[in-house]
Amino acid sequence: MPDMIFLALSAVVVASAVFALEAKELIYGTIGLGVSLVGVAGLFMLLGAEYLAMFQVAVYVGAVVVLILFTIMLVRRESGRIVDEEEPASFGSVGIYVAALVALAVAGAVILLAPVSPVAPEFYQVQLQDLGRSLAASYGVALVILGLVIGAAVVGGLTLVKIDREEKPSGTTE
Amino acid sequence: MTQLQVLPGLQEMVDSLVKIVTSRTFLEIVIFPGLLNVLLSVAFLTWLERKIIARVQLRIGPLYAGIWGVLQPIADFVKLLFKEMISPELADVKLLMLCALGLMMLAAAPIVTIPFGEAFVIANMDIGLIFVFAVMSLFPSVLLLIGWGSNSKYSFLGGLRSLFQQVAYEIPMWLSVLGIVMLTGTLNLAEIVRAQQKVWFVIPQVLGFAVFFTAALAELERTPFDLPEAETELVMGWMTELSGAAFMVGFMAMYTKFYVMSALITTLFLGGWLGPAIIPEPIWVVLKTFLVAVVIVTIRGTFPRVRVDILLRTGWMRLLLLALVNIVVTVILIWLGLGWVWRV
Repeated sequence: MPDMIFLALSAVVVASAVFALEAKELIYGTIGLGVSLVGVAGLFMLLGAEYLAMFQVAVYVGAVVVLILFTIMLVRRESGRIVDEEEPASFGSVGIYVAALVALAVAGAVILLAPVSPVAPEFYQVQLQDLGRSLAASYGVALVILGLVIGAAVVGGLTLVKIDREEKPSGTTE
Repeated sequence: MTQLQVLPGLQEMVDSLVKIVTSRTFLEIVIFPGLLNVLLSVAFLTWLERKIIARVQLRIGPLYAGIWGVLQPIADFVKLLFKEMISPELADVKLLMLCALGLMMLAAAPIVTIPFGEAFVIANMDIGLIFVFAVMSLFPSVLLLIGWGSNSKYSFLGGLRSLFQQVAYEIPMWLSVLGIVMLTGTLNLAEIVRAQQKVWFVIPQVLGFAVFFTAALAELERTPFDLPEAETELVMGWMTELSGAAFMVGFMAMYTKFYVMSALITTLFLGGWLGPAIIPEPIWVVLKTFLVAVVIVTIRGTFPRVRVDILLRTGWMRLLLLALVNIVVTVILIWLGLGWVWRV
């Protein structure tokens, strides 16, 4: 049963990822990306990392996909019609070579580094309490620094917005 | 019978199917805390809302279908099912249908983690609260997609307003729950209810409750935060171009979210299934849930709509601050050694 779920989820993830890249309209591509990310969350769930799965959904689908959608909608509005302005890529062959190189490298790494007699890794579930404890205790300093960096980024963003507004007096129009 | 003997595999399949259909989990999903409960409550809520608003504003409300018009939701249901679906020429109808269905699924999903009694919870997840949070965070994107796919300015503006509002209020909403999580040390909703055996969380977490309740109103797009569907400005907001069955599904999704959010408030702050044993546990949950719903509807009947800038300022400056103060208060409570009251 888990195998079937795994296969179904993988199929959804791969298919929607391909769709995300190939869709003509950016909006559909974004939806494909969202579905793909939800599928990845499902894979995390199968591995017993429920916490990670939930945050995958909340952060990647709930925040990042919204951001992408928002940007697309603000940037191009062609009253619902499919905008087909891009030229077919002329560097397609370069892409294929690069992809082939990466695939070769990955395959080589897997073949060279895989143990001769593969042993199934011990299945263990990280308890949420343990995770919290180690985040607060062992990695406390890193957590605080991360928080400070993100806080600084937010303050910086707000300052940029503020400066922009002050430079344009309310009377003038662009 | 003979055919079944020829195909022993079929007999097994039928047996396992019967086993699945009569299994407790399946019945829970389909009947009690699950689907049927949600659908009936949604129908009841739409009727209740009209009745209460009618009382508050001295109108009469539905009267003719059944006693006190209780059957009105069913009449509406049938009417909407048979209505023609009209949409703008350039609207993305497939996307609209997909999003309306997705909205309903997202709205109903959190019900699986909400405990309706010691023995009535579909999925007793350790991370139930985060599950609800994750599912709710998907809402704004679907609303925005509906607004965009309608290819109508009203819908798009409604969708954008939904996005701003829900993203802004999500943060204080979940920060306000942090106090409860700190006191109980768990994210499991059933455990959170059990922790309220001595004192419900409304009392120590009164600030958190106020913030959560206000943010829930905004998340539900209910008055005074119903800007995304401000009738006088935006027709029906993101719902403007939905019609017929698609409108019905979208409409039901919002009421489902209403029901689920009320149940969540009950679970987190009002002691969930706890109460004198004269009334069975699930009934307590439903009663408290509808009590919360009645309060929310009464607020709708009483207050005017707020302005966009006031809405955003309230969310980012007042509620966020209050939620942080609530966390400090909780820390002080624990520091004073009162934490044991809510330890399971």
